[in-house]
Amino acid sequence: MKLSDSTVSRLDETQRLRFERCLNKFKDVLQSANIDLDALRNLNWLGIPNELPSELRSITWQLLLEYLPCNADRQVKTLARKRQEYFEGVSQAYARGIAGLDQTIWHQIHIDVPRTNPGTILYQCETTQQCLERVLYVWAIRHPASGYVQGINDLVTPFFQVFLSFYIENYDTSCLPKNVLDVIEADSFWCLSKLLDGIQDNYTFAQPGIQRQINKLKDLINRINAPLAAHLQKEGVEYLQFAFRWMNCLLMREMSLKHTIRMWDTYLAERSDGFSVFHLYVCVAFLDKWSDELKTRDFQGIMMFLQSLPTAKWKEQDIELLLSEAYRLKSLYHEAPNHLSRV
Amino acid sequence: MSTNYTYDYIIKYIIIGDTGVGKSCLLLQFTDRRFQPAHDLTIGVEFGARFVDVEGKKIKLQIWDTAGQESFRSITRSYYRGAAGALLVYDITRRETFDHLLIWLEDARQHSNSNTTIMLIGNKSDLESKRAVSYAEGEAFAQQHGLFFMETSAKTADNVEESFVDTAKDIYEKIKQGVFDVSNESNGIKVGGHLQPKTLPLNTDNGNNCC
Ligand SMILES: Nc1nc2c(ncn2[C@@H]2O[C@H](COP(=O)(O)OP(=O)(O)O)[C@@H](O)[C@H]2O)c(=O)[nH]1
Ligand SMILES: [Mg+2]
Repeated sequence: MKLSDSTVSRLDETQRLRFERCLNKFKDVLQSANIDLDALRNLNWLGIPNELPSELRSITWQLLLEYLPCNADRQVKTLARKRQEYFEGVSQAYARGIAGLDQTIWHQIHIDVPRTNPGTILYQCETTQQCLERVLYVWAIRHPASGYVQGINDLVTPFFQVFLSFYIENYDTSCLPKNVLDVIEADSFWCLSKLLDGIQDNYTFAQPGIQRQINKLKDLINRINAPLAAHLQKEGVEYLQFAFRWMNCLLMREMSLKHTIRMWDTYLAERSDGFSVFHLYVCVAFLDKWSDELKTRDFQGIMMFLQSLPTAKWKEQDIELLLSEAYRLKSLYHEAPNHLSRV
Repeated sequence: MSTNYTYDYIIKYIIIGDTGVGKSCLLLQFTDRRFQPAHDLTIGVEFGARFVDVEGKKIKLQIWDTAGQESFRSITRSYYRGAAGALLVYDITRRETFDHLLIWLEDARQHSNSNTTIMLIGNKSDLESKRAVSYAEGEAFAQQHGLFFMETSAKTADNVEESFVDTAKDIYEKIKQGVFDVSNESNGIKVGGHLQPKTLPLNTDNGNNCC
């Protein structure tokens, strides 16, 4: 693994050295026969620079999700077995073609996939859409407690994108050989499954996980930003009205996919609760960030603003600030007794 | 404190119906006068607002567009209560979205205010060649259940304006007849500052504010 020629040609000497140092740190960890996940978490928390080879993220994500085993000897075999298992799952489910699928589930997924990242060519091409459809369908029938819930279609895309970039730079799925695409699909399926295992009650009946998260969000804003909390209350804004989507889609609707991927570097490094507990603190930091703007607005203004937040202009540094603020808040408030954390 | 009370009434709406029938496209066509063929999937609820004119009164419609998927039902139900108008939408090219109307209607009747005006909308009228529900069937269903009825196209904008405005006209008629307790905002209606009848007990906290 080394920096690509095209990357190197864009960098000055100090930058090149910096990224090479960074890459070497990752390599040191990854080349061990038994990978030290804590060491990998520490590196990953800070994010994988986009200048590093794209396969790096693909490998670290699969390791941190415990899809790819840490033990180098078992990696090839395990992947082969898991992929095979997924392919068999697909053939079984699709044995009688589309007509043999559960029509309610299939139809829902079928109309949702084209509405996933509608502005992006990669997700509008048929090959991609068929991959996503299968991943979501197979996941849904294997998880009857929740089934397919809208928003899960968004959650599969960071995996698909990252694993795809292992193979190609320009994201045109139609030019990939079928067996390569199959592997991306299978890996996306398993990693999506791992992610959802940790936040399953976000998607079961009445979505209790999300309700709980929203209550905590409200409670934390009361503690850290009482004036904002008071203003929202005065205007009759309920947290459910805007934060439901933040939880259901893990803020993916408020960020570009590129920035989501950067956020997930950190989420995945936060052990098993990155997508629940840490995400909650990211939402707290996120809402707090717009405080000044929100306090000047009335109900309608607040709703319109929160619905299309000005994150399109965000740079990588904005994401990093958000993540470090979330980290600070989590260390202050998570599992801290109330009498210590109340102002 | 906001001082602009540039409306006579705020009326709250909710849009319901199966997923994929075109609820979000209808809202976008109404608020922004454009059609976005690949609209983002609605998660939970989305909000939109626009002014309409009814008998010279400036009425601000505040509209909740809901996600239609069954899984979100327990979340979206909480929006019925505060709505004075409900647009119940089906897709004229997909029979099952029409077949589900009774479930939607029951849900609406159970969770909304009994005075809520309901407009039944058969959307995608531009897709005549794929029609699976006739105009007469839609009309009969509406008549049988006491709903207003219109076929619309969020794509061509046909009848979109009318469906929102006619609903507002009916609600305004009810306001004039005193059907609604307009002093209680939870009924989905809010009176603008300069119209507030002095005799009504008003919540002085937010009486004059633009909502
Ligand atoms: N031809 C046509 N397509 C429509 C119309 N309204 C919506 N659509 C399409 O139907 C799909 C679902 O629309 P959407 O508004 O997302 O549905 P929702 O789930 O009810 O909010 C989209 O692909 C739209 O392009 C319409 O009036 N005519
Ligand atoms: Mg919608």
